[in-house]
Amino acid sequence: MSDIPVTADPAETPGTVVDLTAAHEVAAADVPPELLAQSLGQYLRALWLRVRSGDSGVLPVVLGIIVVAVAFQIANAKFLSPQNLVQLFEQSTVYMLLAMAVIFVLLLGEIDFSVGLVMGLNAVLVAELVQPTGPDFPWWAAIIVALLASAAFGAFQGWLVARLGLPSFIVTLGGLLILEGLAIIFLGGSLVGIGNSRFTNERILYDIFYGQFSPVVGWILLAVLVVGGATGMWLRDMQRRRGGLETSPRSLTALKIILMTVAGVAIVVICNSNRAHSGVIEGVPYIIPIVLIVLGASTILLQRTRFGRYVYAIGGNPEAARRAGVRVRSVRIWGFVLSALISAIAGVLFGSWQVSMTTNIIKSANAYVLLAIAAAVIGGTSLFGGRGKTIHGVLGGLVIGGIYNGLYLLGIQSQWIDVVVAAVLLVAATVDVLSRRGAPLRA
Amino acid sequence: MTANAGDSPAAAADAGIAVDLTADPEIAAAEVPPELLAQSLRQYLRGWWLQIRSGNSGVLPSILAIVLVAIVFEIITPEHAFLRPSNLVYIFGLSTVYMVLAVAETVVLLLGEIDLSIGAVALVGGVIAFKLVQKPGPDWPWWAAILVALVGCGVVGALQGTLVARLKIPSFIVTLGGFLLFSGILIVILGGADGNVDLNTDSPNQRVIYNMVQGIITPVVGWVALAVVVVAAAAVLWRRAAARRRQGLVAPPASLTAIRIGLVALVGIVVVVICNLNRGTLITAVAGVPWVIPIVLVVLGVWTLVLGRTRFGRYIYAIGGNPEAARRAGVGLAGIRTWSFALCAATAGLGGILLGSFFFGEYSTNTADPGQLVLYSVAAAVIGGVSLFGGRGKALHGILGGLLIGAIAYGVSLLNLGQLTTPLQYILPGGVLIGAVLVDVLSRRGTGSVTRV
Repeated sequence: MSDIPVTADPAETPGTVVDLTAAHEVAAADVPPELLAQSLGQYLRALWLRVRSGDSGVLPVVLGIIVVAVAFQIANAKFLSPQNLVQLFEQSTVYMLLAMAVIFVLLLGEIDFSVGLVMGLNAVLVAELVQPTGPDFPWWAAIIVALLASAAFGAFQGWLVARLGLPSFIVTLGGLLILEGLAIIFLGGSLVGIGNSRFTNERILYDIFYGQFSPVVGWILLAVLVVGGATGMWLRDMQRRRGGLETSPRSLTALKIILMTVAGVAIVVICNSNRAHSGVIEGVPYIIPIVLIVLGASTILLQRTRFGRYVYAIGGNPEAARRAGVRVRSVRIWGFVLSALISAIAGVLFGSWQVSMTTNIIKSANAYVLLAIAAAVIGGTSLFGGRGKTIHGVLGGLVIGGIYNGLYLLGIQSQWIDVVVAAVLLVAATVDVLSRRGAPLRA
Repeated sequence: MTANAGDSPAAAADAGIAVDLTADPEIAAAEVPPELLAQSLRQYLRGWWLQIRSGNSGVLPSILAIVLVAIVFEIITPEHAFLRPSNLVYIFGLSTVYMVLAVAETVVLLLGEIDLSIGAVALVGGVIAFKLVQKPGPDWPWWAAILVALVGCGVVGALQGTLVARLKIPSFIVTLGGFLLFSGILIVILGGADGNVDLNTDSPNQRVIYNMVQGIITPVVGWVALAVVVVAAAAVLWRRAAARRRQGLVAPPASLTAIRIGLVALVGIVVVVICNLNRGTLITAVAGVPWVIPIVLVVLGVWTLVLGRTRFGRYIYAIGGNPEAARRAGVGLAGIRTWSFALCAATAGLGGILLGSFFFGEYSTNTADPGQLVLYSVAAAVIGGVSLFGGRGKALHGILGGLLIGAIAYGVSLLNLGQLTTPLQYILPGGVLIGAVLVDVLSRRGTGSVTRV
């Protein structure tokens, strides 16, 4: 773009369409369209400009999800059945949560390879702590203890990275080995599970992954969520307008509320249809609100708090952040703590999903790391820090889960699935690098 | 050390600080290899000691660590079995793959990059070589199979290197993708999750590959080979020093050259004596130097020459030290980086073939875990003294680090720890890796090469 001489007669550059408003538009592309647009038309135009300038946000991954869905639906008509969709979401949850965990560290320009084994260790810890023959903790206490232990480990890794300046990929590679050893020690050589429904604690932990709301409760929750969300958005807009601040057009807010409602209704309808081979299993699984809560909390933390702004500042330019007075080291340590904490939540789900933990399952937990990083990058989070949102993890996780689920439905062996995911990761990383390469040209 | 010339030494001495009046020239001397300045053996030793004190300790820590590990395991293993000749030879065989992979990794680490795919690439290389000599099957001659496997690995490395060097995707992501990709392809080539490929030792052709680690040189030939190597090394070392002296260039003192030749001979004799002791059973005697020792020496020699004595090697160090400076000096960054990844992968492929030979010529998906191989080889290189930040390290560091890792892994397995054996096999390398990087970072901190907010 920058090579086009501005002063040249448009007619002299055959075949090139010179947009005389280009400079103005490019400037506009740097500002979120919500802040400039006065009407829905303007908003859509600003959005399109941003996409064209390389900052395409979630659009590519949404397109990716659609492509995956259409392709697999053509290949196997079962893919979009309610039964398979719920299963697909179940398979994607762990990727989504781990990807959100990794995003906290990726935003800082660091990496965390230990998330998979933080998850694995947590699953073992929770299961061990509720064993009636062992510590016999109540389920919530077991979860809290395990989460705290993971956060402490995250703090230790963060300390090595932030205080001592060790490269994060080596610290977390070493960390994952140590965690793998610790998990096998805690496992004690045999297996530990939460599958015995005679014990309340084990049943509750089991239900975290396999339980669901009854259909009616699902609808009520959706109604509460939609009404709450709509009121919140509308009230905020009104407040901004009253205060004379830039506000997105009413039609846009209405459109967002309608989209949210449609998506919610679709999810509840799908989840409420009977998905059992025999008998009745219907309702929204608990894991959906769990993922939504982690997504909501992390989005608020990153987008609306000072800590979140510092994370983006450090990821964008650590030296500039330091000079602006940001306490770079402690923010970095907290990034690793949050990464470990979300991985630990993933661990609670993972333990519930696997029901019984064995040495082999602990080892397999490590395989999720690469896929989680891939999910984050596919979702649109940059590997170089400063660019990304936790929603990217959820969407990217859905793509990975969809690929796995779809290839599995087609009867393809798991080693080929790895090959496909590796290819997707490389493509996503290349797109990340190329789109970033264009960025300085705009400045 | 930072006392300026105006300070009174007496005042400083009163304060309990020892002020070395020769400090400044000494610091300058520490930056230059002592061989280039020393005129006598004493000066050389002194220069060497200064280098160590300034943080540039070379191979000394890893040699001390190997000695320490050997002593500790000899004491704590049941029956004090660690230092038996049979175990020592076994440890060398076990360490071979780590040594070769660590040398491969060193090349990429010197650039300031990392290759996380070498474990998977090595295994793919090994399996390809094994598949190509199968009969019935392709039934290729062993040398063609090895050549094709190494070239194949090299091409894979070149592809990854291209992505890193031309598209500027971070190497750890590219090679992470490569790791995933080739771990999958490995299982595909092996023919599924329970597939395997093994060598038929009755076939002379396949036996050559089997013998790369398992085969031995008869004791007499071992001695003859050692004599040839020592005489050749002595001749080269002596003549080079003499040539330098004749030309009026700075040359190491003659006594130093003599000591070096003596050390080479001594180490060689110890190795050959240990290997020539009978390590078999009462019924079948096994004695002799395993083939793998000369193979590892060749890998070490080739990489030492390439890194130390070619333009390519100098460019690698230049890029690792300061890529921007290297670029401005006219070094083609992308080309050197791509070639380094390619040669790293090809070397790793040799490691994979050796690994299959170590496992008695059998490859299965259980034989080796590509993830563990990578971690061990990165750890081996860093423990050996290669810096993760580029520009500092030698092939020898990879060899020593690999030996250390192999010794630790085997020592732990000797300990009869029961349930703790498996966890320790994860925890120890993890801890050692972090520890080694910690030392690397702390020793570099003073030099200003770690620039980080």
